[in-house]
Amino acid sequence: MSVNEQPDPGAPVAPGSPLARALDGYVPPRLSADFADRVLAAAEVRPASLPALRRPVRGWRGWRTGQRIAVGIASFGALATAAAATGLLQQLDLPVLSAGTVWANITGTAAAAPAAVPKVAPAVSVPAAPVTPTPVEIVGAIDTPEELGEAFRRIDAVRSGRREERRAVIDQRIASEIERRRAAGLRVPTPEEEARIRDRIETAHARRQQAIDARIGQRREEMQRKVESGEALTREDIVRPLREDARNLQRIEALRRLPPTERREALRRLPPEERRALIEAWRAGRAARQGTQAPTAEPAPDALPADPTPAPQPSSEQ
Amino acid sequence: MTAGSAPSAPASAAAAASEDAAWAARLAARDPEALRAMIAAHAGKLHRVAYRMTGDAQEAEDIVQEALLRLWDNAPGIAALRLGGWLQRVVTNLAIDRLRRARRLSSGEVPEREDEAPRADALIEAGERDGLARALVLALPERQRAAIVLTYFEELPNAEAAEAMEMNIKAFESLLHRARAGLRQAFAAQGGAL
Repeated sequence: MSVNEQPDPGAPVAPGSPLARALDGYVPPRLSADFADRVLAAAEVRPASLPALRRPVRGWRGWRTGQRIAVGIASFGALATAAAATGLLQQLDLPVLSAGTVWANITGTAAAAPAAVPKVAPAVSVPAAPVTPTPVEIVGAIDTPEELGEAFRRIDAVRSGRREERRAVIDQRIASEIERRRAAGLRVPTPEEEARIRDRIETAHARRQQAIDARIGQRREEMQRKVESGEALTREDIVRPLREDARNLQRIEALRRLPPTERREALRRLPPEERRALIEAWRAGRAARQGTQAPTAEPAPDALPADPTPAPQPSSEQ
Repeated sequence: MTAGSAPSAPASAAAAASEDAAWAARLAARDPEALRAMIAAHAGKLHRVAYRMTGDAQEAEDIVQEALLRLWDNAPGIAALRLGGWLQRVVTNLAIDRLRRARRLSSGEVPEREDEAPRADALIEAGERDGLARALVLALPERQRAAIVLTYFEELPNAEAAEAMEMNIKAFESLLHRARAGLRQAFAAQGGAL
């Protein structure tokens, strides 16, 4: 070391140097005599440490990942099975392969064709339930009275079938209601009472049928006049009046449910042509029910009765 | 003495590690006698370190007690470690934490950067109270103080001291260099001859 060289201030403290002698004066006191007892007492009341929340990661990470994947696959499989079992996949237009098809795809063999099941016609042992007659198909124009008469004959055949069907339904409902009351221990009508009920129903049905027949008779007379005058009728000419009748009947029913003031106001709000057609339909229905000719004068807008006898239902009668 | 009869350094280290593992197992089994043995073996040295860092005998005992209780609680997880070194590290960190907390509470705010220079007021106050040596040490910043205590007073090798402070050896040597320089500067300020 040269004379001018400065000593390193960070050099170790040399033993015996003034700084070392000064530092050596820093003597710590002794521990308290009861230090060990205090520590032991504190340790005794100290709760035991909780076990590790998770197992050591090393060596288990792979299994945990695989476990999650397995749980996910199992959950997906359960959901897919449930969806296939409930028909959800078919509703979503997703193809569901059968096990045989999957196996055939895997093994490369064609799936075995299902055994042919011979078709056996079911034995007709019980009378078939009455079914709604098929509506009459009107194809092409009707321009002769013979064709029109044939159309009316077919339509009448359908109407007759529907009448029988309704009668059968009514009989069935009466019988089931009597049976229900008998099973419930309730009073059942006597044969005389049952006969009266059937008579009332038959009377109401006949009255309704009479009104319908009158309305249909008017329509047919109009159509016959047209055919005899050389006009050709199409299916639309026959069906449209029936549709209009049905629509007008719905409107009339809606108007009947209104209070008189609102009914009058609703009629006034209609276009004149619609209002006229509506009133005419109501008038025709009433005339048919009463067997009289409909008046031609237009009544007041509030002339519709609030609760008249039901009008004929042309939509179900063709 | 023959070469065969003297235990080699690796052999003695392995024996010490085995002994520490046995003590850790007993501590993990909540054996009070094992804790008493740990207190007898390490408490004195730990208390010296804590006292020289804090300058307060009562607080030093609190720090040592806390370190021993942590050993009691965490024994199952430290069976593979050297118990003496582990305790030394815990005491050093606890002392540094308490010094920093006390400084924050006294100043009311956290300094943005640690002041490396010796604190003249602390130097004067400590000097008046406990003498020059204590004042010199306590005037150092916390980590420099720990470096001086571990290497000068406890005569630990730099590597072990660095381990106790959880530093790499280069950073520790740099810290120790600055600590010695600060110590000499403070001693010179007190009129001492280096």
